[in-house]
Amino acid sequence: MHRTNDILDTVRMLQQENLDLRTVTLGINLLDCAGRSMAAVTKAVRATVAAKAGNLIRICDQLTTKYGLAIINKRIAVSPASQLLEGHTPKAALELAQALDEAASEVGVDLIGGFTALVHKGMTPGERLLIESLPQVLSRTKRLCASVNIGTTKAGMNVDAILLVSETILKIAEATRHEHGFGCAKLVVFANAAEDNPFMAGAFLGPGEPDCVINIGVSGPGVVKRAIERLVEQNPACTLDEIAEEIKHTAFRVTRTGELIGREVAEKLGVRFGVLDLSLAPTPRVGDSVGEIYQAMGVKVLGAPGTTAAVALLNDAVKKGGAFASSAVGGLSGAFLPVMEDHALAQAVAEGTLTLEKLEAMTAVCSVGLDMILVPGDIDRATLSGIIMDEAAIGIYGNKTAAVRIIPAIGHKAGERIDFGGLFGSGTVMSVKRASGNAEFVRRGGHIPAPIQSLGN
Amino acid sequence: MEQRYVISVLIADRVGILSAITAAVTDLGANIVGISQTVEQGYFTVIMIVAFAQPVGPEAIRHAILNRFDQDEASVLVRPFQAQRQAPGTGDRYVLTMAGRDRPGILKALTGYLAGKKINIEDLFFRIVGDKVTHVGEVTVPAQLDLKQTQDELRAVMAPFALVVNLQHENLFRATNEVGAIRHLLRQTNHA
Repeated sequence: MHRTNDILDTVRMLQQENLDLRTVTLGINLLDCAGRSMAAVTKAVRATVAAKAGNLIRICDQLTTKYGLAIINKRIAVSPASQLLEGHTPKAALELAQALDEAASEVGVDLIGGFTALVHKGMTPGERLLIESLPQVLSRTKRLCASVNIGTTKAGMNVDAILLVSETILKIAEATRHEHGFGCAKLVVFANAAEDNPFMAGAFLGPGEPDCVINIGVSGPGVVKRAIERLVEQNPACTLDEIAEEIKHTAFRVTRTGELIGREVAEKLGVRFGVLDLSLAPTPRVGDSVGEIYQAMGVKVLGAPGTTAAVALLNDAVKKGGAFASSAVGGLSGAFLPVMEDHALAQAVAEGTLTLEKLEAMTAVCSVGLDMILVPGDIDRATLSGIIMDEAAIGIYGNKTAAVRIIPAIGHKAGERIDFGGLFGSGTVMSVKRASGNAEFVRRGGHIPAPIQSLGN
Repeated sequence: MEQRYVISVLIADRVGILSAITAAVTDLGANIVGISQTVEQGYFTVIMIVAFAQPVGPEAIRHAILNRFDQDEASVLVRPFQAQRQAPGTGDRYVLTMAGRDRPGILKALTGYLAGKKINIEDLFFRIVGDKVTHVGEVTVPAQLDLKQTQDELRAVMAPFALVVNLQHENLFRATNEVGAIRHLLRQTNHA
């Protein structure tokens, strides 16, 4: 017999506080599709995706009915597509991208990730081909997401790759200027990319992963926010350690809903269950915002001194609660700061309290990085490279994942507002201070050696 | 040969009731093998299963319990225990919740629908605050029923009462409120 209050607490989390499962992501290994004929490769890719993911939507819908818990996104992450491009031409890269895009459409998923190159130590011809194809690929596909890993704590930072990626980002922005550079929202530049990350746009099935695996991204910013608000209502003088404790307990419950669904989806699909990513992923909806959590803690103006400490407190408490809830925690597992996808963060940027520099500081203590950042369309390659290098340094030297998803809004200046719609949200073009002062440093290129902490053996 | 009885007692609540009942049956030589007790708006009810190694009649048990209370204070029913002749249908356990404004007829409509579908009610509780009512029930949904159709029909039946109705698998509530490993929980319900 269940306690009535426990039941009603769970129902309230679902119905009033936006608890849902943000993503069920099916990882699929496509390496056995490799071949010299791209026609044969794309045929094999379509067949593999259809065979492995054909029942994904139906099973997720069944479990939504069973538990009354919404599964917002059903997605696919494939093994790095660059491995299928070795020895191929730019035309073949586009054919592969379109095959993946269509395969995703055929099985009914909204996004497919894994148009990926892992170039942290060096770059193969297939990886270069993939990166150089991105302007054409991301402007001519709808569901395909791309990522490039440019550094790791073990390997250091590939600055040559960053220069190439920065140039590519500017070309993607130009190729999708009619959508305000939306193509760039489908590309994540990583340092220490997670092989089992279920969240888009950066999901791919990394080295060492099973042939086919279910990874889960939980959600629940609204649940955490309301838990803090209730605590503060009951005890306005509550201390930060009491808030941390409340977040921990709430994260425990949120995490367990994810594992429950994930294990059942995997079992019904007949594949391995992989990990639960604890990241609190916001949406543009009011009541589903990570920024609102900091406000509930008492940081009423996001970006004010203390904001970074609030991020650290939240990130740590979520991990502690989630780690006790499940032994299958993985992926990115921290607090996201996707500026355009979180209405409170977006508003703080619009009001000028949250700057690029402050966001960068905040990313030092959370899971991802500079995520969904709009910058002026006239930003130059050196400045863009410098932003990526700074964020990568936080990841590489902090031994954590760091990422940049940045959108040069061609034809727009700082302060102008852009709306992508849907989960991608809307935002304000941020100003980049002291731009163009780094060119000599960045253009040297080469490789920043791995930090001393890489010598851990 | 062991004799089993099912005993039900209804009485205005006060301290010491369960102590008096258990002492009465134990002193008669009973072993208590099952018990469920609750208090609703000041009224205590208990249902218990007792087993006797030596023959004892139901009237003797009833009087032994009544003797522990003032005259007319308690109502006691004692019946020989019978194993279930028609077991409720097998299926998974679901939690039913309904919330909204209280109106006459809600339970009649609900229980009528559930009975018609052979959905067994194992626990049911409701709480009224002001004119708002919250029902929480635990039910077994026969495996052969289409869950989506059942949920839709249930909401349609309860639509005249303007209640928010949910029927959700109990594992969701166990997952969010217990600390045991999820894989063990799923094994218990034959899902893993």
